[in-house]
Amino acid sequence: MIGYRTPLLPPIDLAVRAGSTLGVLGPNGAGKTALLKSLLGLLPLLGGRRKLPLGRSPQVGYVPQRDRLDMSWPLRVLDVVLMGRARLVGPFKRYSARDCDQARAALHEIGIGDLAERPLYALSGGQHQKVLIARAIAAEPELLVLDEPTSAMDPAAERIFLELVARLKSAHNLSVVLVTHQLTAIAGFATEVALIDRERELFEVGPAEQMIDPHKLGRLYGREVMVSRVDGRIAVVIGEGAPN
Amino acid sequence: MSGFADFWAGRDLWREPLLAGILAGAILGYIGVFVVLKRMVFVSAALSEISGVGVAFAFWLGAVLGIDPHAHRATPLLLEPTWFSLIFACLAAALFSLQPGHRKLASETIVGLGYIISSALVLAILNSPRIAQEAHAVGDILFGNAVTVPRKQIEALFGAAFAAVLAHAVFFKELLFVSYDRETASVQGIGVFRYELLLNLATAVVISVATRAVGALPVFAFSVIPAAAALMLTDRMRLTIALAVIFGVVSAAVGYYVSWVEQLPTGASMVVVASLFLLPGLVKIARRSAV
Repeated sequence: MIGYRTPLLPPIDLAVRAGSTLGVLGPNGAGKTALLKSLLGLLPLLGGRRKLPLGRSPQVGYVPQRDRLDMSWPLRVLDVVLMGRARLVGPFKRYSARDCDQARAALHEIGIGDLAERPLYALSGGQHQKVLIARAIAAEPELLVLDEPTSAMDPAAERIFLELVARLKSAHNLSVVLVTHQLTAIAGFATEVALIDRERELFEVGPAEQMIDPHKLGRLYGREVMVSRVDGRIAVVIGEGAPN
Repeated sequence: MSGFADFWAGRDLWREPLLAGILAGAILGYIGVFVVLKRMVFVSAALSEISGVGVAFAFWLGAVLGIDPHAHRATPLLLEPTWFSLIFACLAAALFSLQPGHRKLASETIVGLGYIISSALVLAILNSPRIAQEAHAVGDILFGNAVTVPRKQIEALFGAAFAAVLAHAVFFKELLFVSYDRETASVQGIGVFRYELLLNLATAVVISVATRAVGALPVFAFSVIPAAAALMLTDRMRLTIALAVIFGVVSAAVGYYVSWVEQLPTGASMVVVASLFLLPGLVKIARRSAV
C-alpha cells in the first residue's frame, strides 16, 4: 500500500526482476514518484512489505528528473561524478585514486571522458544529462533508476539517450526502472510496463507487449490510443476521441 | 605618533579582540561557502537572532528566579547564557534540518518568521523592567563587542571553530553530496537528514559563539561576503574555500586596524573592508558580460 499519508491506490504488487527494464508510465500527477520512492524504500509503505531478494537494498544508480546540473557550485564534472561513489567509499574516508579512475572510466564510457576537468557551466544541456548518467554508473549500480530523464529532450535526443541506457544495461548487467509520462520512451525499450494513475485508481503491470495496448493505454490517458509497428518498431499515437 | 605606531603601542588592548575577529573571519569564511551555495543566507541570520533569544532568556530567567547571571562568579552553571544561546541555536538548526514547510508556508517563510519573532523577543526581553538595569551589558553579550573580547569567548570560539572544521574534514564528501543534490544522495543511501543536521548544527554553534564574541553584523557579513566574493572568482571548490577564508581573515584584521586608527565602529569597519573583496569578482562578471 503506497501513499504519503493516505493510500494513493488500492493495494499493489510490483516486482523488479533481475536484468529487466521496468517502465512506469502514467500521466502527470499519477503517483509515479510516490511509487518510485516506495520501491526504493524512501517512502514508508502504508501497508504490506518490501521484499529484498538480495537480503539488502540494491546499489542504486539514480538519474534525477533534471535537464541541468546546478551550475552555481564551483565544481568540475569529475567532482559531480565522484559523488556517485560516496556510498561505496563509506564515511570517514576520502575518495582514493581508484575512485577517481572509476569516475573517469564512467565518463569515458558515456563518451565524455574529455570533459572531466571542465566546470559545470561550460557544458551543454545534453552533456549535463550525460554527467548525471556517468555519476549513476560510477556508483557501480545493480539497479539503474531514471526519473523522467527525457522529459526535456527532443525525439532524436531521447532515442540516443535510450540507446545509451540500453548499452549500459547490457554492459553492466543492470536492472532498470524508467519512470516517464512519455509513451515513446517506453515503447520498444521496457521489457515490463506498469501503468499507474491514482485519479482513475488504476495500477496494472505486465510484459511490455501486453501493456502497450490501445485499450489499456486508452484507459490510462482517457483518450483514443493507436499502436502500430513501423519497420519493426512500435509507434504510439494519441488520438482525438474517447478511448475505444 | 603615526597611525600604525599608535596602533602598535596599544597591542595589549587589541590582541584578543583582533584574534577573535580573525578566528571568526576564518571559520565563517569557510562555513559561508556552504551557507551561500545552499542558499541559506537567512538561515545564518535567523540562527544568530535565535541564539540571542537564548541569551536574553537566560537573563530573564535569572531575574525571575532572583539570580543575576551577569554578576561575576554568581551565575549558576544552568543559567549560563552561553548554554541557552547554544541550545536555542541548535534546536533551531535541527528544526531547519527537518525542512519544515507547507504549500502555504514555505521553508524560507519559516526561517523568516524565526528571524522576525526572535528579533522581537530579544527586544521585548531586553526592555523588560526585570532586567532593565542590565540591558547594556546584556546587549554586549547578545550582539558582541569586537572592541573588547574576554579570553573565555576566544576559547569558546576556537573550540566551536575546531569542532566545525573537524566535522567538515571528516564528512566533507557526504556534506558536499547532500548539499549539492539532496535527492540523489537520499536515493543512493546517504543519510541525508543526519548530514544536514550535522552541517546546520556546526553552522549554528559557530554563529552562536561568534555572535557573542564579535557581534551580529560582522558574523552575518562574514558568513556571506567572503564566500560570495570567492565564488565570483573561481570555479574550483578548494580554491573557493581557501579564498573565502583569506578574505574573512584579511577583512577582520584590516577592518580592526582601520577602526582603531580612524576611530570608527569596529564591526562596521570589518564589513566595509569585506565588501571591497566583492569588487574583483564584480569586475570579472562585468567583463564576461561585455564579451
